[in-house]
Amino acid sequence: MNTLNNDKKNDKLYKVSGKRVIQSKTGLKRIELRIGISGKVYQMLSPGKTLYLLLNNKFVLIFILVISLFTSVGSAQEDISCYHCHTTVVSQFRNNIHYQKGFTCADCHGGNDLSNSSVISYSVMSGNFIGRPSRSNITDVCSKCHPQEAKDYKTSIHWAQIQKGHTDAATCTDCHGIHEIRAISDPNSSANRQNSPATCAKCHSNKEMMSAWYYGIKTDRFDTYKESFHWRALSNGYTVVATCADCHGNHNTKATTDPNSSTYPENLPKTCGKPNCHPGANFDVKIASGLVHDKESLHTAELVFNKTSLEPQMKDYYLGPFDLAYWIALFFKILTTGVIGIFAGMVILDFFSRIKIHKRW
Amino acid sequence: MPGQNLLEVSDSELRGDNTMEEVFFKRFTFNQLLEHWVMIGSFMTLVISGMPLKFPDAWWSPVIINLLGGFEMRTLIHHTAGIVMVVLGVYHVVYHVFIDRESMLERKVWPTLTDVQDFWQTILFYVGKAEHPKFGRYSWKEKFDYWGAFWGMVMLCVTGLIMMFPFVAMEYIPFAYVHLSTLIHTDEALLATLFIFIVHWWNVHYSPEVFPMSKAWITGNLSEEQMKHEHPLEYEEIMRQMNEKSEKITFKK
Repeated sequence: MNTLNNDKKNDKLYKVSGKRVIQSKTGLKRIELRIGISGKVYQMLSPGKTLYLLLNNKFVLIFILVISLFTSVGSAQEDISCYHCHTTVVSQFRNNIHYQKGFTCADCHGGNDLSNSSVISYSVMSGNFIGRPSRSNITDVCSKCHPQEAKDYKTSIHWAQIQKGHTDAATCTDCHGIHEIRAISDPNSSANRQNSPATCAKCHSNKEMMSAWYYGIKTDRFDTYKESFHWRALSNGYTVVATCADCHGNHNTKATTDPNSSTYPENLPKTCGKPNCHPGANFDVKIASGLVHDKESLHTAELVFNKTSLEPQMKDYYLGPFDLAYWIALFFKILTTGVIGIFAGMVILDFFSRIKIHKRW
Repeated sequence: MPGQNLLEVSDSELRGDNTMEEVFFKRFTFNQLLEHWVMIGSFMTLVISGMPLKFPDAWWSPVIINLLGGFEMRTLIHHTAGIVMVVLGVYHVVYHVFIDRESMLERKVWPTLTDVQDFWQTILFYVGKAEHPKFGRYSWKEKFDYWGAFWGMVMLCVTGLIMMFPFVAMEYIPFAYVHLSTLIHTDEALLATLFIFIVHWWNVHYSPEVFPMSKAWITGNLSEEQMKHEHPLEYEEIMRQMNEKSEKITFKK
């Protein structure tokens, strides 16, 4: 900077309109531009001079060094070649248990995973590249490594519906996540015990989706599950209780009307009596009548349960004494409001009578 | 009350004179006091550990559960206190039916027609249109308290045991009844809690008649003044019996 100031003193000035060309004694040329009404002078150095001044400054040199270090380290982390275009997807994939175990995009999507951004998509999409699998093909992708799970899944009502053409029915990714597949034990996993009721409710509380296939799937399953002791324990962090999958099965879930289903009436003693749940549970099927979920009448005190739409053999099993629940709920409503109303009213009367009546008994 | 010690005369022998300083009337036996204390302990524990489950969406529900040491501990506490209450209930019935030799029919705790009249007269008194009714050993309020608790104990203990051992119960009763018992248990518990906190505590605790509290639940005794005020008919009955006794003694001499 000193050189610049020294130069200034010995400058010869050539007046050009609005623009000065300055020839200093040292021979360096610089141009000054007069801009604005204030007549402020901006100096414009020649490129060679600028570079010389910058590289002479050690702080600038250190800055350049640090930036280049960061850039090289950062780009070394981009081990996923697809990142340069599919940024969001790859960011999700970094939370994937498969990524942590060393799998790459190509393991599911096919194609060549050794390419990098400079080779672009031509070689990426070569060979057996399948791109985005259709909903009915997702199972094929997962079954390459998880054959048992896929085999179980193919006995489920979900797979049966997909085969019928209802491709909205749940497949692997709906429960486990698409690019963000986490381990089941991970508390952020959608298939974790604590999160599984909400995961099932994504579809099963969706009225449009449930009524699209066939009339009869109820959309209040999560709400009625919330009435149970199981949910109240689960929501308070006591995870050793039954969630959806424990009774209905996870991969091989079936309709309750299916005789092979774990929730078919005759299979219930076995389902409830699992070694980790209620071992030794032994009850007669007829005696175990009544619904687990259909307790609407208990809490709203309304007879919402439609008895006429049931098949005859299920009717006997389901109905049970649920009318009784309605009457009991009503009885306690009247009893509680009556007793507390009368006696709390008397407490208030007693209280006010002390203000009115001066002479007590 | 034949065969029962109704009077406790304090300091009469030590003073050496015949003037009675203070007379206490025996209200509850030690056995009854003990039952009440155990009842208070188990009931309050059950309310605190049970209500978070009756209202799982309330903001205080997880707070109380965490204070109790988590959900599993809450269940353990609730079950333990519940068993204490079941034992208490069984003991109460067994003691007063089989061990206590008092005749069942002569007990003063049975509701009578007078209680209905007293109930109506009390309301009229509160409105300022009648004298306060005179009570005997147990007022209609106390009888209602007792039989309310009795009914509640039966309901809560039976449904509680069904819920504690659902799969044992399901060997005898339909599964739906297990659900029904959750309904009965929680609704009855809410009724009992509201009744104790509002009505019972007003009568024995908050009411200006007894504030800060009626000490009968600790000592088992009532003072002569309290006795005249709250149970005048019983007081008169005791005094009449006393006079008869003393007349007999003088007659013998």
